[in-house]
Amino acid sequence: MNQRSRASRSPAIAGLGMTELGRVYGKTGSQFAAEAVRLAVADAGLRLSDVDGLLVSAGVANDVGLGLQVDLNLRDLRLLSQMQAFGSTAGAMVQVASMAVEAGMAEVVVCVFGDAPLQEGVGAGHAYSDGHRTHSGWAGLQRSTGAVTPNVLYSLAARRHMLEYGTTSEQFGAIAVAQREWAVLNPLAQMRSPITIEDHQRSRIVSDPFHLFDCCLVSNGGIAVVVTTVERARDLKQPLVHILGWAQSHPGTRLRRNDDFGLVTGAAQSGPAAMAMAGVTTDDIDIVEIYDCYTYTALVTLEDYGFCGKGEGGEFVSTPGNLGPDGKLKMNTGGGQLSSYYMWGMTPLSEAILQARGHAGARQQERHELIMVSGNGGILDHHSTLIVGS
Amino acid sequence: MHLQPVVRDSATAAFFDGTARGVFLLRRSVVSGEVVTPSAVQDSAGNTDLEWFEASGRGRVVSWAFVPRRVAGSDRPLELTIGLVQLDEGPWWWTQLVDIDRAAVAQGLRVRAVFPKSGPGESDEYVPVFTPDETGA
Repeated sequence: MNQRSRASRSPAIAGLGMTELGRVYGKTGSQFAAEAVRLAVADAGLRLSDVDGLLVSAGVANDVGLGLQVDLNLRDLRLLSQMQAFGSTAGAMVQVASMAVEAGMAEVVVCVFGDAPLQEGVGAGHAYSDGHRTHSGWAGLQRSTGAVTPNVLYSLAARRHMLEYGTTSEQFGAIAVAQREWAVLNPLAQMRSPITIEDHQRSRIVSDPFHLFDCCLVSNGGIAVVVTTVERARDLKQPLVHILGWAQSHPGTRLRRNDDFGLVTGAAQSGPAAMAMAGVTTDDIDIVEIYDCYTYTALVTLEDYGFCGKGEGGEFVSTPGNLGPDGKLKMNTGGGQLSSYYMWGMTPLSEAILQARGHAGARQQERHELIMVSGNGGILDHHSTLIVGS
Repeated sequence: MHLQPVVRDSATAAFFDGTARGVFLLRRSVVSGEVVTPSAVQDSAGNTDLEWFEASGRGRVVSWAFVPRRVAGSDRPLELTIGLVQLDEGPWWWTQLVDIDRAAVAQGLRVRAVFPKSGPGESDEYVPVFTPDETGA
């Protein structure tokens, strides 16, 4: 435990609430979010009346807003904000909550994400696609020629990595296979049957070079975390999770020429900055929970965080003995967004909390003192990093 | 090739005036001469005095994706080639590559803009898509 965590107002995660996740129908994103808040507060052994800060974020349904305060009958909040930097938001919310409790602005801050992209009877692929109505302006022009959706835009980034470094589709597949091995051990995961590289290669093309198994799931549900001081957290129900370091990086190159596009991301600044705050290096990190909207995203983040050299990610992830439950690098121990559930940045964060607490069951790692958590928003436009631990 | 209709707004009016006459307009800083993408509101130094100019419409392929699409009302599956093009004048442009064999798509391939109409409606604008440029070097 380092100096930072001894200070009494140091931030800690004291509660985690997760609704049923996946193909769960009949609730809005906002309803999932409210349920997640109640679960998180109960998990901490607190009451809703103890909550004096609320940070909310929405997904594609875009229906989680400031009104959640009233839905939960939370009165006299000292912190309330709606935040949106897409997949980096979960990390960013925990950062703001951490700084608020450190400063004495608030005592118990709940950070919540909820979404309901899936509709019954409609394929998951529709959740993140565009409608077929006429559009206007610059955004409309881009849609007109089809250069839209995360699948397409991320695949352009992935191909750039392949062209520059020789990264292959099979190497992306190694990530998908390893994460499915972890998901087999995770009762919370949506996809629990093992897959092979051949399965990955045979899965249908979504946007070449991406196969279906390169792409994350789509899930309905909500996840909330409770941030308070270490001092307060010591008296509560769960093993406390220290928040030891954090950072963000936003390159500012969205739809602008960027010679690093696909090659180096915001992770390259955010990761080292968070580790510096925590006073650690990659050698100290026990577990890494990486935002894996695509296999490629996990690969390039590992490079940028320094777990392997730039351009060497393909070789690293496909070397036997590196990934998976028996591997040297404990990455995405719940199966990640690829195989467990897609709650944007709450996916890697929730698994980090379970591991830090020692509550990860069959997939529990013995060493869980330092866990690095990434978040990615937009098309590599927004990055957040947290270092948490037991 | 498969396009969806787009109509102009006040920010894109001048650009679409260009595409309607088969020209790819770019923006340039009056102060520094820096070429910026058409949607930019300032140059990298913060100067907002920008002028339109006729660019070559030529560039090179930086990256691409082959995207299977199902078109509403058709049984025939479609494959779009989405491209990221570096225009000769500097900016990058996200677009569709047309009239091109899969095997011909390559990093650095020379391409040039053509300007089909994005839809049948009177307000539907002409949009730039890119095709192999056999003429240039």
